Amino acid sequence: MWGRTLQFLPTKSLREGLLPWVIGVMLFLCTLSLTGTLAIGKGLESWSAGLTSNFSVQIVEKNAHERALQTDRALRLLHATPGIASATVLAEAEILALLSPWLGDLPINNDLPIPTLIDVTLTEGARVNTDALAERLRTTAAGAQLDDHQAWMAQILDLAGVVQLLLAGVMVMVVLSTVAIVIFGCRAGLATHQESIEIMHLMGAEDKLISKAFDARYLAHGLKGGLLGVLLAAGVLWLLADLAVKMGQGLISASMPEPSSLLWLALLPLFAALLTMLTARITVRKALLEMM
Amino acid sequence: MISFENVGMRYGMGGEILTDISFALERRSFHFLVGASGAGKTTLLKLLYLAHRPSRGLVNFFGKDLATLERGALPRIRRRIGVVFQDFRLFEHLTAFENVALPLRLQGAKKAQVADHVEELLSWVGLDDRMHARPATLSGGEKQRVAIARAIINKPDLLVADEPTGNVDAEMSKRLMHLFVSLNKEGTTTVVATHDESLVRSVGAPVLRLEKGHIELQPGGTPVDPGY
Repeated sequence: MWGRTLQFLPTKSLREGLLPWVIGVMLFLCTLSLTGTLAIGKGLESWSAGLTSNFSVQIVEKNAHERALQTDRALRLLHATPGIASATVLAEAEILALLSPWLGDLPINNDLPIPTLIDVTLTEGARVNTDALAERLRTTAAGAQLDDHQAWMAQILDLAGVVQLLLAGVMVMVVLSTVAIVIFGCRAGLATHQESIEIMHLMGAEDKLISKAFDARYLAHGLKGGLLGVLLAAGVLWLLADLAVKMGQGLISASMPEPSSLLWLALLPLFAALLTMLTARITVRKALLEMM
Repeated sequence: MISFENVGMRYGMGGEILTDISFALERRSFHFLVGASGAGKTTLLKLLYLAHRPSRGLVNFFGKDLATLERGALPRIRRRIGVVFQDFRLFEHLTAFENVALPLRLQGAKKAQVADHVEELLSWVGLDDRMHARPATLSGGEKQRVAIARAIINKPDLLVADEPTGNVDAEMSKRLMHLFVSLNKEGTTTVVATHDESLVRSVGAPVLRLEKGHIELQPGGTPVDPGY
């Protein structure tokens, strides 16, 4: 891949001075998009794992006595169902707290027919046929409604999928833009060094040897830009992770990647360097073929 | 060794700059190439140092027909040709030593071998104290000698020089011509393009005279300068 290199180009060229910075910005955006895609995946995974390990049962019945009877029957059924670790009736105060965003602060023992809410937790790794259980609950307690969050979770998963696709699209566009920028930079470099290349050709230099001089140069540009972009992105991610920790447990903090899982970021500068070098190599070889 | 037969050259859709050029350069020969500005000297030189292919005609380099040569075979032939440009075309960021070393390094010569040859040659052209100077600090004559040293470091079979005395004074011009004649005597086929008719008379070598794209070979005479 490397072979003999003869560096005949000057080490500094003003036209290429900005290239590492542009590559750096591109890689910064690429890293954030990639991390965003992975974070959404991880967040949904841990979040949906939490949701599939529990569900709730509401007993909707106006008559308080009847509601209490149905609640007892539902609890007995739930406790007897294999795979269910616990089934706990939420205290009225907790239910009122959940309703307060819509109904405001209500006193306990008000006259409103508030449904009973049973929080059900599954045994780890257990699977329960929620459709069959819902049917059995309705038979046992007519006002029982099982909510396993599937309906709105499907919508959230769809939305997350679209966001992930968008981020992947951004990533692809950033990579393609980087390639285009390198091609433009490389053509400008070729124009700048046209005379040197011509002299090298006339001295008997092969295309391969000439393009290797550009390989080394653009490999360095890509590596510098890559390091710059990844360091910037790592700094931003660290700040976000810190903020998420301060915000406490939730979707954001659950989505933040572990520091150890960000080690792959170290590979991105190498990826940027190789991408830049290969783009330059192809551009230079094509341009050289047009010369005699 | 090198022959041109009915060669024509035009750039793009323009008219022919060179028309029906035919001549042969025998091994160890020395020729001047003369002609007024616009006669096609530069174009003929470019064909001679393989910067262009002709639009028509047969060109043969070292027994190989240029028309049938693939692009990949050109570097090997170019390494047998040394070129001295009127404007030197040295790499400004490299020292005299590094400029002269390039052709040897291109051929993969070992570092010690490169150092020996380059130092020896730069001494021969009188630049032993300027080896590590960059072109910007060299005089016109010194740059031209570096350019000549670069052209001959790998002992080319053909040396093509474009107005090598165009940017130097009379004394340096004479010294450079002595250099070319010595190289030719050592076996290098030489073509020197010049405007300077007195230089041609002083050496007395055959002349390829270009006029409006046509060439005429004039035999050499007795050197005016007996030093040649």
